[in-house]
Amino acid sequence: MLKHIRPLLPLVIFVFIAVFLWKGLRLAPAEVPSPLIGKPVPAFSLPSLFNLQQNYDQKIFNGEVSVFNVWSSTCSACAAEHDLLMDSVAHTQHIAFYGLDYRDDTEAAKAWLKHYGNPYHLVLADVSGDAAIDWGVYGTPETFIIDKHAHIRYRQIGAIDRDTWQHVLLPLIEQLQHEQ
Amino acid sequence: MMSIATFFCLPTHVFAATDNYAFVSATQATRFQTLTSQLRCLVCQNQTLADSEAPLAADLRHQIYIKMQAGQTDAQIVAYLVARYGNFILYRPPFVPATLFLWLGPALFLLLAGGGLLFFIRINRKV
Amino acid sequence: MIPELGTFAIILAFLFSLLQIGSGAYRYRHPHTLVLPKTAALAQGFFLLCAMACLILSLISNDVTVIYVREHSHPSLPLLYRIGAAWGGHEGSLLLWCLILAGWTAVFIFANQTRIIPALRAAILMNLGLISCGFLLFLLLTSNPFLRDFPTLPVSAADLTPLLQDPGLLFHPPILYSGYVGTAVAFAFAMAALWYGEFPPALAHALRPWVLLPWAFLGCGIVAGSWWAYRELGWGGWWFWDPVENASLLPWLATTALLHSLIVTQKRQTFAGWSILLAMLAFSLSLIGTFLVRSGVLVSVHAFATDPARGIFLLIFLTLLAGGSLLLYGLRIVRFYRPVNFALVSRETFLLFNTILLLTAVVTILTGTLYPIILDALNLGKISVGEPYFNTLFTPLMLIVLLFMGVAPHMHWQHYALKKLSAHILFPLLISCIVIASFPWLTDFQFHFMASLGIAFASWVIAATIVYLWQHRHAGTLSHIAMAIAHIGIAILALGVTINKTYSAERQLRIAVGDTTTLAGYTFDFIQQTRTAAENYTSLNAIFTVKYNGKMQGTITTSQRTFVSHNESLSHPGILWNGWRDLYIASGNVYTNGSWAIRIYYRPLVRWIWLGGLLTVLGGLFALLNAYFQRRKKAC
Repeated sequence: MLKHIRPLLPLVIFVFIAVFLWKGLRLAPAEVPSPLIGKPVPAFSLPSLFNLQQNYDQKIFNGEVSVFNVWSSTCSACAAEHDLLMDSVAHTQHIAFYGLDYRDDTEAAKAWLKHYGNPYHLVLADVSGDAAIDWGVYGTPETFIIDKHAHIRYRQIGAIDRDTWQHVLLPLIEQLQHEQ
Repeated sequence: MMSIATFFCLPTHVFAATDNYAFVSATQATRFQTLTSQLRCLVCQNQTLADSEAPLAADLRHQIYIKMQAGQTDAQIVAYLVARYGNFILYRPPFVPATLFLWLGPALFLLLAGGGLLFFIRINRKV
Repeated sequence: MIPELGTFAIILAFLFSLLQIGSGAYRYRHPHTLVLPKTAALAQGFFLLCAMACLILSLISNDVTVIYVREHSHPSLPLLYRIGAAWGGHEGSLLLWCLILAGWTAVFIFANQTRIIPALRAAILMNLGLISCGFLLFLLLTSNPFLRDFPTLPVSAADLTPLLQDPGLLFHPPILYSGYVGTAVAFAFAMAALWYGEFPPALAHALRPWVLLPWAFLGCGIVAGSWWAYRELGWGGWWFWDPVENASLLPWLATTALLHSLIVTQKRQTFAGWSILLAMLAFSLSLIGTFLVRSGVLVSVHAFATDPARGIFLLIFLTLLAGGSLLLYGLRIVRFYRPVNFALVSRETFLLFNTILLLTAVVTILTGTLYPIILDALNLGKISVGEPYFNTLFTPLMLIVLLFMGVAPHMHWQHYALKKLSAHILFPLLISCIVIASFPWLTDFQFHFMASLGIAFASWVIAATIVYLWQHRHAGTLSHIAMAIAHIGIAILALGVTINKTYSAERQLRIAVGDTTTLAGYTFDFIQQTRTAAENYTSLNAIFTVKYNGKMQGTITTSQRTFVSHNESLSHPGILWNGWRDLYIASGNVYTNGSWAIRIYYRPLVRWIWLGGLLTVLGGLFALLNAYFQRRKKAC
């Protein structure tokens, strides 16, 4: 019996590999999951883009579900998602919508927001990029969803499209709003 | 062979990033070089932090440099990076239950196949 | 017009591949003549040659209506690189793949393998047709290089990636592909034997050149790729365990294993099943490599622009071909079982154990490459597996391989004879002990445990092989010399790798004209900055002189090239080399105050790595000559 099963072993191994190669086709190898999911937001102290004298810290996330969008005026994918930020995210009820201007020239960033419109309730400026490292940011745009207790619950890598907004982010935000 | 698909890395795509850090000793310079070449740049595809010219890689090298000057050990620096970017940043995956087979699989294969071969020859021998 | 002709030629080639399959299958049953399958295969090759000519013509005439030309060429691109651009992108390189497969088929036909019975030859032609047909379909459906559109606006052409604009482009891909694709012939042999139900000794003899040739091409291609990446990318390294590199190493390891198991099958008529499995494995690994590189499941520095449709097609094709052949193997292989007719301690066992060691290397690379995908698919997190992992696992494995390489040739065929063995290996053992003890005194290098171990093992192999050669000096056949050259090549490679890994040095700094710096005892003076122009780029050069103990060694020019077609600049490293060490300068930014950010590398014995690789290839060529002479002798 063994004599007849053993020759099929290579086939079994190949099928095992092929199954995972098949699954691998649907994965996004360049997307790095965040180890910060479920953890409190990292501590920071950053100035507002429009008033560099005034600093804010992580307490701004307390009390309300927040959307935290990392962007930069030099990033073309950020421009691509900007319409959605303007017409959907900015009009969502009972959320705080914050932006983080990442490694950017503050004047260029202000001009950019003037041109495309400013959807954010508050924009923080991270000129050196050091604060973004604490958030595990590795590219722009990235979007974090943060719950009422200032814990990071979700991270979106790359531009948000309408589909993702409707079916992933918005339902999550609504769920978080009902959490105590 | 190499139509590069990534955009972030294209502009200057020389693979050797160059900083200008002053190290207290040659040992520390080597430590920095060894550590950064065992870490993966998250922006550029499959490049080490040491070789990448992406802005984030430069920032991370800077952080590593500062921490090294502050007397942190390699383990502390690695823990700092893993806390932010996960195990993905390590080119040497940690030895944990999920990677058990990664680290031990090849040795296991050698033992099983090598032993199997000797056993096979021994029982099928007809001279 | 020309692009349409190209597409038409591919379609014709595809139709002829169908004819090749059909007529091959028919002639398997009625094998009195093979004219039709042969003609179909040759016609297919002719039309693929036409298609390649059309692509090159489109590139030379810079026909921007062809999308491939627009994306991989530019009016400023020099003529040679326009030709090279024919395989500088996914579609073109796939066409090259098909063309080379047709080339191998033609070589098989003209080699006139009368030792193989006609039915098996028909089956082999059919199998080659099957592989070709699959790839031509892939080419036509997902990757036609002749697709064109007629944009109304004046289009600005992209360009061949500047990194590819190097003489390496002209010969590296064709050589490497010849190796990849060449394993298809051994695969076709193995499938034919399985189908036929027998592995006659003549087939084992006939198969050997078809393993040696692609093996030599693969070795050459890997060396060329390593050298190219080293001199072009500016990172001072020669191997990164990148998926693309691994994809080329996997079939090389499998064919090396096959070469060794085939010796046992030839001499003892046993383990035919094992040889068949290894032949199937070698080509399957070629296919898996192609899939990994072109589907986007992995991220690699040198990956092709990817497209999921291509991945799906390739995976289906891979599954049909490799899965189908392994199923056939599982069902039929029992027929190939023969009793083992050699002692447990004998040269045969060592040869077979070597195949296990090489397969362990294959398993290591595959595990390292696929593990991140598996973990990700199972939602167990994302990890990276890179150089530190592979180096950690390969070091002990290679030490074991070297250990066995010294003993194995001294083992007796079939029988166990320990007494004689100990006499043979005493001298090499002594040599390696002397080397390990005297190494730190003989050279400037500091003592390093792992390095000494590697050096000792390498010199053990070299000494043992030379003893073997001496003992067989009157044998009058090339096979001993072939083996000896190949084994010494591996030992030299190991020596190069060990010293290179342990004693390399590098530093990075900012430097301006007139400044001086030192590394590993060498003094570098930045003497001059110049500006030069070439056909399609201008170059800003930093010229260094190098001195050692006050003695002039030469100059190194590192440059920043700005291409006409791009606005960005590309750094081109400068290298000063001799047999013992490379001095290598790569530049980063050039600052406005005139200073340069540079990296200097000191790379001892790096040339030995490629020299060792080329020696193994040379060993393969000697083995081919030997096979040729043996055949002539028998024919007389």
